[in-house]
Amino acid sequence: MINLKGIEKTFDGNKVLKGINLEIKSGEVVALIGPSGTGKTTLLRTINFLEKADKGSITIDELTIDNEQVSEKDMILMRRQTAMVFQNYNLFRNKTILENVMEGLIVVQKKSKEEAEKIARQEIERVGLLDKVEQYPIELSGGQQQRIGIARAMALHPKVMLLDEPTSSLDPERSLEVLKVLQKVAKTGMTMVIATHEMDFAKYVSNHVVFMENGHIVEEGSPEKIFTDPSQERTKQFVQELENPFT
Amino acid sequence: MDLEFIMNIFPTLLKTLPLTIYIVVVTAILGFLLAVIVTAIRLKKIPVISQLMDLYTSFMRSTPGLIHIFVVYYGLPVLFRAIGIDINFISRVTFSITALVLYNGAFVSEILRPSYLAVPSQQHEAATSVGMTNWQKHIRVIFPQVLPIALPSLGNALIDLLKDTSLLFLIGLVDIMGQADIIIANTLGVYQLEVYVTIALIYWGCSILLEQVIRFLEKKTGKYLR
Ligand SMILES: Nc1ncnc2c1ncn2[C@@H]1O[C@H](COP(=O)(O)OP(=O)(O)OP(=O)(O)O)[C@@H](O)[C@H]1O
Ligand SMILES: [Mg+2]
Repeated sequence: MINLKGIEKTFDGNKVLKGINLEIKSGEVVALIGPSGTGKTTLLRTINFLEKADKGSITIDELTIDNEQVSEKDMILMRRQTAMVFQNYNLFRNKTILENVMEGLIVVQKKSKEEAEKIARQEIERVGLLDKVEQYPIELSGGQQQRIGIARAMALHPKVMLLDEPTSSLDPERSLEVLKVLQKVAKTGMTMVIATHEMDFAKYVSNHVVFMENGHIVEEGSPEKIFTDPSQERTKQFVQELENPFT
Repeated sequence: MDLEFIMNIFPTLLKTLPLTIYIVVVTAILGFLLAVIVTAIRLKKIPVISQLMDLYTSFMRSTPGLIHIFVVYYGLPVLFRAIGIDINFISRVTFSITALVLYNGAFVSEILRPSYLAVPSQQHEAATSVGMTNWQKHIRVIFPQVLPIALPSLGNALIDLLKDTSLLFLIGLVDIMGQADIIIANTLGVYQLEVYVTIALIYWGCSILLEQVIRFLEKKTGKYLR
């Protein structure tokens, strides 16, 4: 279970997160939607401690961290509970596909090389790229790189996987191949938070939708509720605009 | 040109080559270590020391190497005598290496800093996000990517270093250049041209060798860029 309480974040005088409270149950697939510049990326980054929030607390299972007095050590500890999938994949360029997935297992989780390779191969097989293990990221298409990004995150067996618009740098076809992989991942029971503009994904794969605007959570609920019967006027507007962008 | 003379002095000149190689290798290693430290301080922007390091690199890069050699060779003993320490037992080789390390370190730092900064910040974030410590991130992900970026320039710095050793005869070191100077004096300057052409060939040969080593390292460390 993930619990965010009163998360605030300011970038040079610009308050981007204005007190976010959010509970994510184990196994939930959360779609984080909202207009551009709303703070979706920033929120994911504070959960992964790539960015330290100024205020508020973050709980992952038994571990609670108060952002106002968090040490570098605590942040590393929290990062090891989470895994991030980036918009631009961010695979380790100097490592082969297999090494990319094994790296965290060996360096961070101190697994033996044999064990790490076994786990890595399983995850690479799940995303359908076992034939690429010896290649370098530069030799793969964007969609393939992102599938490896997902495999790298999965291999770490995180408590929660954070995905920041995992398909937005991809053309529709490649995008679909990644979404299918994510659907598969969701079925394993992995807890996920996905910032996304892919409405189909939010509708059909997620089981919890969070609508954010301007540093606040405006409304959250089941996909059916948010997409067919939102209680906030603002949510209704946003959803309508997405479904009929030209009207 | 007297080819027979060249054949005759060639072995004598080659005999001093190990000294030159020794100075180049030791200086390159120590200079690299110095550069890593200087670069780290400058990148971390540690107040005061960081500015001092900026000053150091700027000064070293903007003044002729010959001056550093003279300043170290003639200046250091005076400086140490002033605080009551006699360093006359220190060999010319040590003085030479000291001067060249200070000079080379500044240049290499100016290579390492932009090379480090050329690694995209996303690579840092990717490593951090999987839970690596700062140290693990640098060793496993960042430094291996800095190397292939820096190597071509490091190769040039190494060849510059080799050429700079030819200044050391001015403080009386008998390296290739020093030996050449002796031969010229002994033959009353008659064979000047032959001697200079010979050592030019020797320096050239060494440079080609160094270039090959760097190329090999470039290939080895940059294979992910293919
Ligand atoms: N490192 C930073 N420094 C300064 N400002 C930042 C930084 N990161 C984000 N911001 C600002 O914070 C605000 C929220 O950005 P964020 O990337 O979280 O939005 P988003 O909801 O992910 O938008 P999008 O849908 O376009 O990805 C923006 O106004 C952005 O300019
Ligand atoms: Mg974003």
